[in-house]
Amino acid sequence: MQSNQPQQKRGPARDVVDYELLFDCVHCGLCLEACPTYILTRAEMDSPRGRIYQMKALAEARLDADADVVRHLDFCLGCRGCETACPSGVRYGALIEQTRAWIENNYRRPLSDRVRRWLIGALFPYPSRLRAALTPLAIIERAGLRPLLQRAMPRGLREWIELVPALTGNGARSSTAPAPDGRGPVAVHHGCVAQVLADSANRSAERLLGAAGYKVVPLPRTVCCGALDLHSGNRRRALEFARANVRAIEQSGAEYVISTASGCSTAMAEYGELLKDDPELAQSARDVSARVKELSLLLAGERQPATRRFECVVTYHDACHLAHGMGIREQPRALLRSIPGVKLVEMEMPDLCCGSAGTYNLTHPQAARELAQRKADAIAATGVDYVVLANPGCQFQIAAELRRRGARIKVMHLADFVAMAVFNGNEAKYSDRIS
Amino acid sequence: MEDGLRGSGIDSGLRADLEALVGADAVVSRRSELKVYECDGWTIEKNAPDLLVMPRSTEQVSAILRLLHRRGVAFVPRGAGTGLSGGCLPLAAPVMICTSRMNRIVSIDLSNRRVEVQPGVVNLHVTDAVRPQGYFYAPDPSSQSACTIGGNIAENSGGPHTLKYGVTANHVLGVELVLPDGEVVELGGPAEEKLGYDLAGAVVGSEGTVGIVTRATLRLMRAPQSYRTMLALFDDVDTATRAVSKIIADGMVPGAIEMMDRLIIGAVEAAFHVGFPPGAGAALIVELDGLAAGLDDHASRAAELMRSCGARSVELARDEAQRQLLWKARKRAFGAVGRLASNYATQDGVVPRTRLPDILREITAIAARYRLRIGNVFHAGDGNIHPIVLYEERDADETRRAIEAGREILKACLAMGGSLTGEHGIGVEKLAEMPLLFSPDDLRVMAELRAVFDPDNRSNPGKVLPRPGSCVEVSAPRRQVPL
Repeated sequence: MQSNQPQQKRGPARDVVDYELLFDCVHCGLCLEACPTYILTRAEMDSPRGRIYQMKALAEARLDADADVVRHLDFCLGCRGCETACPSGVRYGALIEQTRAWIENNYRRPLSDRVRRWLIGALFPYPSRLRAALTPLAIIERAGLRPLLQRAMPRGLREWIELVPALTGNGARSSTAPAPDGRGPVAVHHGCVAQVLADSANRSAERLLGAAGYKVVPLPRTVCCGALDLHSGNRRRALEFARANVRAIEQSGAEYVISTASGCSTAMAEYGELLKDDPELAQSARDVSARVKELSLLLAGERQPATRRFECVVTYHDACHLAHGMGIREQPRALLRSIPGVKLVEMEMPDLCCGSAGTYNLTHPQAARELAQRKADAIAATGVDYVVLANPGCQFQIAAELRRRGARIKVMHLADFVAMAVFNGNEAKYSDRIS
Repeated sequence: MEDGLRGSGIDSGLRADLEALVGADAVVSRRSELKVYECDGWTIEKNAPDLLVMPRSTEQVSAILRLLHRRGVAFVPRGAGTGLSGGCLPLAAPVMICTSRMNRIVSIDLSNRRVEVQPGVVNLHVTDAVRPQGYFYAPDPSSQSACTIGGNIAENSGGPHTLKYGVTANHVLGVELVLPDGEVVELGGPAEEKLGYDLAGAVVGSEGTVGIVTRATLRLMRAPQSYRTMLALFDDVDTATRAVSKIIADGMVPGAIEMMDRLIIGAVEAAFHVGFPPGAGAALIVELDGLAAGLDDHASRAAELMRSCGARSVELARDEAQRQLLWKARKRAFGAVGRLASNYATQDGVVPRTRLPDILREITAIAARYRLRIGNVFHAGDGNIHPIVLYEERDADETRRAIEAGREILKACLAMGGSLTGEHGIGVEKLAEMPLLFSPDDLRVMAELRAVFDPDNRSNPGKVLPRPGSCVEVSAPRRQVPL
């Protein structure tokens, strides 16, 4: 019966993903309940394990990229909650990114899909375009007519507009001049959407770093980090953006680089992997990735600026890529707890995705809304004054949902919240004004 | 977009009828989508159903089964698909009924220490719901963060703490069962002491062959006041397993005694960084629980016994965080093994506790004979072994050797006076071995009991009982999609 000749290993028929990575999955199913989309549909096709199964079938040409497979793969938020749950070390984030790039090259989407994806891709990574596109809304808001406009909109469109924070807050704040011989230097990558809609967090981060004794240096050039493209399958442009950022960060001379958007931090921290085959920039990309830090890490310990006493109850929402991508959970909480008077309480499943997930709330509004509602329920049950988080996307998503239900809970970026405690401000100066 | 109904013997009218009962979003018929349902945690054998239905209520399950009864169509129930013996693999069942959407906790009654749940509720979510009040649901399989109560009932699942608290059968007070003809019956009930035959007991462990459980009343336990969790390291599995017998023989009943061998320790350390020293040959996790008073004495007694058997070190978990880390490492050990090989088959045999050193020696010999790596992580306290056979599914010869090695291990368990399954069930994995444990008369009586519930043999046909007259040696794999 026994043969001593091991049979030839079968290889993939198509180059969909790094094939060997698929075999890390042992089909145990521990990822199911960590997956937001499985929680919504409770169907295996919408679970990480089921998606990996579909990727494998695609790679082995046992399945063709049809509307069904693409729908299930598109439905993934890319939150990587499954990576935290996975005991087997499956690199799901890499797998879904590779699969999506393959789909874009091998599957023709319906026209409406193509138009929507083109619009998102042409608008969001470019701050000047996004600003121009939002100007009419800003004018309407200044005239005090935004609530009226939102009420008049059809539901789908209204929910999108509701995500846009107030555009007429007093955004202009000067950064404190850092000591010339300060630690660091640190560069804050201002992001693309973030610098238009959440610039307050960027400026607060810079002020806090200055107060902690870091020298804050500007980047010679800031372009989108590329995460948006990477997650939607546009690998080519993602690589272009990554190269531009690697060069800019190198030129800045920054020892650390931070972003107030966790998706961008994770993308930059993975430049080394993304550009590993780049003949020119592979080494620089690895160096840059090693310099990516999270704000709370740089403010920890004796570097932490003194804060006033601030009596309030706070809950912390884990942005997906910060928790699941970079494994940062404890440091932001420790920073919050260190502020005298702050009482930190935990919500149920703080690391379950809120549905924002990059542009997911624009491409999958219904699922995104259901996840936002779950998140808002979990927050409301804690009875807090503030939800603090470290990603603008989550901030817009959760704030919109809490506004819809008339809750008085304020949503603040970690940088803004800590700045408010350190610089003795009030939240009107830091958070988006509630319209 | 290919339709899955071709050549399956069921016509597309059935799909329309099912959709009329439960809605189109609860019926899956596309081949590409059904493919992900072709196996559970037992991945050696695969077969996708022709139709999948995801009901949300007892009424829907009953209506579905009435329809299937009228049409004479067989079905297989499925929960989260975390089973390790292929219990929800469709053998001769075109329709799969997945209870994952029936995930409501119906009621919590703390004064009477019971909870009523739908079958799709996740095991850990039961404990989560009552933990703040100081209660827990005792059976805690390693997959408890994903597996469902319905699946636990089907397979009579255990877990590390069954040593003290018993398996699922000891914690199911009653069930609402939809019979294969659609009739809804209540078996057992909320009362602690039942009169008459224990019919709910017959349902637990029946592996989906008597119908579909649509509601279960579970027993809740008061959470222990205190824990002492120890990690003991040994040079080899021999001394570690001897220590297990010593502890039990001393009259102690720890909450759990778990063992890991060298291979597993390495995998777990790589995954979770618990701090196991390199080179440790075996590790025991011993957990004592109960009233705080006296627990320290018990802990030092257990530590003393382990040292006397040759433990290299015995360490007490400093705090709850360290205790949780130990349990995380233990409970996710199966998955961590995925870092060592692309596939594994988790075996599930039982031997008398005192024979543990013998069976582990035998497993080592079998591994050598079949040129395979086999790791061991198991519930040592109750002699429930889980050899994990590593293989590579793309290597057909190695896959075949893995299956044969598994069979030999089970035979060795039986030869030592043990049993075929501690908690994973027979499924398809161990069907062929049933006649080794049971006489033809035993099997006939079991078939008669099953026929009371399922006279037409339409509820998960082909499972638990090997078909009468079929030979013992079934060449495996029985079913596999062409890869």
